[in-house]
Amino acid sequence: MVETNAIQFTGVVQNRSKFRLGPLNMSIPKGFITAIVGPNGCGKSSSFSLMLDLAKPDEGLIELLGQRLEQGPSVDLKKRIGYLPEESLSHENNMKAAAKAEFYQFWYESWDVNRYRELLHLLEVDDNQLLGKMSKGMRRKFEFALTLAHGPELLLLDEPSSGLDPLAWKTMINILHRYMDQGDRTILLTSHIIEEVKRLADFIVFMDRGMVLGMYEKDELFSSWFTLFVTGPDLSEKLAATMPGQCGVDHAGGTTYRITTSKAAEAEQWCAREGLQLVSRQALELDEIMSALLLQNSLSTRLNEKRGI
Amino acid sequence: MKVILLPIQINDQSAEPLYHQIEVQLRALIVSGQLTEGTLLPSIRELAQTVKCSVITVKRVYNDLEAEGLLRTRQGTGTYVAKVGELERDRHRLSAVIEALDQAVIAGKRVQCTENELETMFKEVMNKYYE
Repeated sequence: MVETNAIQFTGVVQNRSKFRLGPLNMSIPKGFITAIVGPNGCGKSSSFSLMLDLAKPDEGLIELLGQRLEQGPSVDLKKRIGYLPEESLSHENNMKAAAKAEFYQFWYESWDVNRYRELLHLLEVDDNQLLGKMSKGMRRKFEFALTLAHGPELLLLDEPSSGLDPLAWKTMINILHRYMDQGDRTILLTSHIIEEVKRLADFIVFMDRGMVLGMYEKDELFSSWFTLFVTGPDLSEKLAATMPGQCGVDHAGGTTYRITTSKAAEAEQWCAREGLQLVSRQALELDEIMSALLLQNSLSTRLNEKRGI
Repeated sequence: MKVILLPIQINDQSAEPLYHQIEVQLRALIVSGQLTEGTLLPSIRELAQTVKCSVITVKRVYNDLEAEGLLRTRQGTGTYVAKVGELERDRHRLSAVIEALDQAVIAGKRVQCTENELETMFKEVMNKYYE
């Protein structure tokens, strides 16, 4: 069988005293860039820890690059992965950057010193410095170069651009695009930056409170969420609320309503059927889509709690 | 071979699906002869990056145009502009125009133009450019 998923979560649950992750079911496709977005504490970083076997799930199965994690990943599997953690490690503050690179070189046979040098050059990083003496952005760029220098098949990037200036950010985006151009490679990243998700992602996963709310193809997502200004002599708030995919109705004066929908194409057909005039349409931004999804999620959770489910 | 930059622009506020917007423009570039036979197109990832869409969308565009015979893909080397016959050129020549007229009529309907009004406007525009 052709293996098409780089990462597979099946019924993964992790219980901690103050946080329950899961049950998580998600498949991250091979050959694509997938971005996880969600508010702080939604479980993004915990999921990364599980994938790297830094923590064990209480239930469920995780597969990485076709291998089960049950018995702990073999060293060989980890060599095929590049991981950029969200925070730099403070115990490395007194280590020279070049020394950390040597350590990486020791563990990864596929370490490519030319690639490493090229990355440092592109990102304008000097590795002849103590990690603790580097600025946040400089250290980030260095760690980013390290993550890529062994040519991993799978990149796990936790908030890769935090602390980067706009120019360094652009360089990073370009490096990641070029990385993907080599074919069967996969990136899973988390990000709070809308522009970054827009520029990089092919798929977007929304997470909230330890759960996956949904996974969408990026262009499909952005072409389905619209705010429509609709008018018609008989248009009322009640009628407006029956629009397909309706996620919010606001009165805009007269018999004009501003309606947000997650099914733009169906909603427009509905307007035509109901004899309503479409005055204008506006695409939603990622953060607006996210808050609408979170709102829906918390409403349905509360509803289920009331019903005792 | 040098890879070219495609002058493709998308409008993410449009009701037109993204793949369709890109497809229409790329088809026009090929059929009009602006992209000649054998031109190497950007890789799927590159084009996705320039127009800021996902690779899935670009893949769909390349597949569609390949099925139409306007592009051909050589495994491992990339996607090239195919030979466009006279007949096809003619068939496609008008498609972008029809598309644009379609959009104009839709815009008119949106603000409740009558057929007469649209016709008058169409004639005015014609006169402006064909004097």
